[in-house]
Amino acid sequence: MVEIKIDGITLKVPHETTVMQAARSAGFEIPSMCYKNGHQNHPSCMICLVKDLKSGNLFPSCAMRVSGNMEISTVDEDVINSRKDALELLMSDHVGDCEAPCRMACPAFMDIPLMNRLIAGGDFAKALEIVKQEIALPFILGYICPAPCEKVCRRTQVDEAVSICQLKKFTAAKDAGNETSFFPTKNKKTGKRVAIIGTGPAGLSCAFYLLRQGHECVLFDKNEKAGGTLRYSALDKELPESVLDHEIGLIQNYGAEFRLKYPITKEFFEQEIIPKFDAVVLATGLVNPEQADIFGIRLSKSGIEVKPGTFETSRKGVFSCGSSVKSLKMAVTSVAQGKATALSVDGFLKGTISKPEPFFNSKFGKLQPTEVSEYLKESSAGIRIFPFAGESKGFSSEEAISEAKRCLHCDCRKPASCKLRQYSAEYEIDRRKYSSGERKLLEKHFQHETVVYEPEKCIKCGLCVDITTGKKELTGLTFIGRGFNLKIDIPFNQTLNEALTKTAAECVDACPTGALSFKIGEEKG
Amino acid sequence: MDNEIIKTVDEIIAEYGSANDAAIPILQAIQGKFNYLPEVALKHLAETTGISPAAIYGISTFYSQFRHQPIGKHLIKVCVGTACHVKGAVQVYDAFKRELKIGESEDTDTDRLFTIEKVACLGCCTIAPVVQIDGVTYGHLTTDKAGETIRDFLLNQDSVPSVNNEFILSDSASQGEIRLGLGSCCVASGSAEVKLALEKSIKKSKINVSVKHVGCVGICNQVPMLEVHKPGESPSFYTKIKAEEVGEVIRKHFQPSNPVYRFRNNLYNFLENYVIDGIPKSLRRYSSEKRDTPVSEFLDGQLNIATEYRGFLKPTDLAEYKNYGGFSALQQCLSGKSQQEIIGQVIQSGLRGRGGAGFPTGIKWQRVKDSVSDEKFVICNGDEGDPGAFMDRMLLESYPFRVIEGLIIAAFAVGATKGIFYIRAEYPLAVKRIREAIKICEDASLLGENILGSDFSFNVRLFEGAGAFVCGEETALIASVEGKRGLPQLRPPYPSEKGLWDKPTLINNTETLATIPWIIRKGGEAFGKIGTDNSKGTKVFALAGKINRGGLIEVPMGITIRKIIEDIGGGIPDGKKFKAVQIGGPSGGCIPALMADTPIDFGSLAEVGAMMGSGGLIVLDETDCMVDIARYFLSFTQDQSCGRCTFCRIGTRRMLDILNKICSGKGKIEDLESLEKLAISVNKGSMCGLGKTAPNPVLSTLKYFRHEYEAHINGHCPTGKCKDLVSYEITNDCIGCTKCAQRCPSGAIALNPYELHVVEMDKCIKCDICRQICPVDAVILGQAKC
Repeated sequence: MVEIKIDGITLKVPHETTVMQAARSAGFEIPSMCYKNGHQNHPSCMICLVKDLKSGNLFPSCAMRVSGNMEISTVDEDVINSRKDALELLMSDHVGDCEAPCRMACPAFMDIPLMNRLIAGGDFAKALEIVKQEIALPFILGYICPAPCEKVCRRTQVDEAVSICQLKKFTAAKDAGNETSFFPTKNKKTGKRVAIIGTGPAGLSCAFYLLRQGHECVLFDKNEKAGGTLRYSALDKELPESVLDHEIGLIQNYGAEFRLKYPITKEFFEQEIIPKFDAVVLATGLVNPEQADIFGIRLSKSGIEVKPGTFETSRKGVFSCGSSVKSLKMAVTSVAQGKATALSVDGFLKGTISKPEPFFNSKFGKLQPTEVSEYLKESSAGIRIFPFAGESKGFSSEEAISEAKRCLHCDCRKPASCKLRQYSAEYEIDRRKYSSGERKLLEKHFQHETVVYEPEKCIKCGLCVDITTGKKELTGLTFIGRGFNLKIDIPFNQTLNEALTKTAAECVDACPTGALSFKIGEEKG
Repeated sequence: MDNEIIKTVDEIIAEYGSANDAAIPILQAIQGKFNYLPEVALKHLAETTGISPAAIYGISTFYSQFRHQPIGKHLIKVCVGTACHVKGAVQVYDAFKRELKIGESEDTDTDRLFTIEKVACLGCCTIAPVVQIDGVTYGHLTTDKAGETIRDFLLNQDSVPSVNNEFILSDSASQGEIRLGLGSCCVASGSAEVKLALEKSIKKSKINVSVKHVGCVGICNQVPMLEVHKPGESPSFYTKIKAEEVGEVIRKHFQPSNPVYRFRNNLYNFLENYVIDGIPKSLRRYSSEKRDTPVSEFLDGQLNIATEYRGFLKPTDLAEYKNYGGFSALQQCLSGKSQQEIIGQVIQSGLRGRGGAGFPTGIKWQRVKDSVSDEKFVICNGDEGDPGAFMDRMLLESYPFRVIEGLIIAAFAVGATKGIFYIRAEYPLAVKRIREAIKICEDASLLGENILGSDFSFNVRLFEGAGAFVCGEETALIASVEGKRGLPQLRPPYPSEKGLWDKPTLINNTETLATIPWIIRKGGEAFGKIGTDNSKGTKVFALAGKINRGGLIEVPMGITIRKIIEDIGGGIPDGKKFKAVQIGGPSGGCIPALMADTPIDFGSLAEVGAMMGSGGLIVLDETDCMVDIARYFLSFTQDQSCGRCTFCRIGTRRMLDILNKICSGKGKIEDLESLEKLAISVNKGSMCGLGKTAPNPVLSTLKYFRHEYEAHINGHCPTGKCKDLVSYEITNDCIGCTKCAQRCPSGAIALNPYELHVVEMDKCIKCDICRQICPVDAVILGQAKC
């Protein structure tokens, strides 16, 4: 047995134990990407660095054996900074988007590429489910959204953007045409009641997600009908009243209670709302100082003062979103905020308003000409399709399928399991810190039946090489070249199909990034 | 064709076997046959041996020696080592490409006559810039000589003299001895031609004089050098001698013994003297007795231990080596000294590894000796990859027996039975000499079973490195011997515990081993008396760059930089100012002129941010750009990194990116901070020595020459070395001779005789020919308009 100290705690571990094993066995967290139990551990990623306080040296804990008198720090500033640097360097050489540009541009963070793929595969119901995970009012937005997603669509570099907004509308229209409409399964009833003042896009969206979380919702509006600006303001694009009515009807059917023609007075608010509800959401649209006085909350320059990210106002239990906080041009932003507020309220009702999970997204610049052809490998040729029946009527099923197939699948196939992304988020790295050099050109290899290889997402850990060698693949994978141009490739320019005859699944599973992934992608968390 | 290839591959496999560790020698043999690695050959190799396609491809793409595409009939290697770099190697490379009309992304001309490639270092630093076309080396090149060089090569390609058929003219009644150095630098400077002329001349004049081919004479910048030793006369040195001058020298010193010949020779002498008047002017003759001559100054202050008997040992003459005490150390060891006594001597000597890091040699030996194992190995590390270093090459070429003796003693002391010489393939002469010497030793019972009648048996073989700087790192070297990609391993375990084939292995640098016989003969104490407290003994340096007398020197530790440069090296040529010295190659740093009194030892060099490294010493003058130097080394390391760990693979590249940005005038002041921070990160986070020391050239220049970095950021390269930041201007001194206009390869100077010439900057490719060729120095560098 060897005695070592890790972060001040003395441990006795067997000889031949690595520092990482010793630390992990005692509950210390050590990040790692290139290390996998049962495989040769040749340190490459270097994010498992720890420091020996005695020598002041950093070393990769995955391969360093314990030795007597070691005094290890896993939290030293040097350690954290070096891990961060390693991640930042890796990211500077990583060409790929975690999330597709369209999804990043969507204020509601709708999983557009996945919707597209489901539509392309004919699974319209599942496509709507995906849409409704993020957008409560897809039918309405299908008519009026200015579609910021389409402006950043990588397909514009080929011909024209994918008709995302129409596709989203298509999923909702398809649902509207069905005998029974889709409603997301609700969480168990919480018994909590939330009052929402205002039935515009923010209020409606907020209600939808509160209901999904198992809360009761009552929506108040001064007008005769629900819809707020969607109904009573001039819109840039035409929104058929029937569509508005239909989608509000869905929210009502989902369980929302509407109290219309209810102008809120200070007295009513203090006596009928504050005491009788567990939380209040102000989604009234533009507010003036008199209204602020009614609700007893502070205003900022632009509207109701809220904490960024949580939408809490200055008054406990009162939240606000949409144009009441700041005038918003796009309804989709209000819809997005309504959802975010619902999640914040949900946390409040459960006792903790949790901070949003650290989020990281890798993205890279414009596609170079050769990259465009790489992307076209998995999408159909052909220019943007316009609905034969007219913009307002929207796509037929055939049209929708054809249009959805134009999607370039810019998003990563391993967005949830990618360790590079997880640690980049955890260590809050600056992904552009080392972006001074020319970036490499992205490639996608599709020859394998089930697996896709994207070399420019590879961190050169060599796990796949170790697997194909160990399992005696006839061709297998190998390291090619050295230095900055080191690459993992297939000997004699053979194909991935020949390289991975029996180890494909194991390699995909071992690959810490999206370099090796299944064509169908992974379930997103 | 394919069948022929397959047949050849089968023959090669039959010779080398089909084990995994035969892969590198097999690939070398295949390339030796076809000049590249044909895919059919590799596929066939995979099919017929146990070596997997993945392993073959992994190896063949790791080592830069291997090519996957056929090349032209002749191969032009442009050396871009440090000394060549500071003397314009990149411009020379561009000039050759222009001359051969080879496109930007191509390496072979349309006739497939020439393929051009950059090579890390040919080790001929004293005659930089150097270009090697097939076997012929051309030194002191300039951009305007590219065409001339190619024409010369094509004209003389069939009559290249060979150094292989060494000749000896000896006679019992010899009138004296002529010594001629035949190290790589000497040959590159024309030694082989001198040798031929000498041969002819002696034959013709019928004199009895023995000619001896010695190893590297050290004074590489003065070669070819002839030494004339005559009984009763002090030796004379003739430096930079040309073939046509040889006859004159012979006649001056020697008379034929037969009177008739003497008469004829006198007549010749008379006639020729009549015309030439004494020794031709181009000949530089110095007597060894005269002080203050370049030769004596160069040799003064040196202390020869690893290079003992420099200049008069014939490299592969065993009898002579023995006459000078060779193998007596081994004899002592085998007849009575215990292993521990030997190691004790080495520990007492204070010898530290000469490969760079300076680990105490005796302690390393002790560890290997103390490791319990049925089998142990010793390896001589001759994979000298530092651009600008050629100590090991010279030691292996000139004193093969000494290194072998050191290795045998080491093997005996640690209990090893097998040894390996790992020598980089870029050193063909070293490989050849060691091979020969091993054979001779085997025949003389110095290697093999029961050495010199003792119980000790030891066998040694030679392994040629295939072109990877990182293989100088001991664990990477081992991987390479095992037939793998040269990846360093995390230490511990050290090779002394788990080395080649997981057996205890002692790896010593060539120079370290070369000092061992001396230490054993004279005792550790004697060695320990030389040098400083933390660095004992002597160190061999390759002195090159902007220095009057470059060459190979062996000096006591603790000598100051100033003494080396001013006394031994004779200062900076052309009256330029000494600016800095780069020590330790890609792992070392730049020490400014201000700190020239720094003593050279492990401790003080580390203190000032440099490193002993293996012993490359490149002198820089006021025309050298320090940012460019840093960039040069980073471009080397990022290419030579094994690519395994993040900091080295990407970190060094990002450092290079920032340096490129600065050199092109696009840098911002905050880039300096990021560069420094990144450099520190790469140093802390890299796994092996290559990555850990790669930032040194950047950190040391940032420390001592920050103002130059700042100047670049302000759009100005103070020395005019950074192409993007300079423009060419012609002053009123121009005499309108049109020389520049005639030679300008891009037509940027209009041909207007007797008029002031003008450079059109939008056409100018900044090849620098005009500036070099102008007879009145009217072409000057200005600041580019960004």
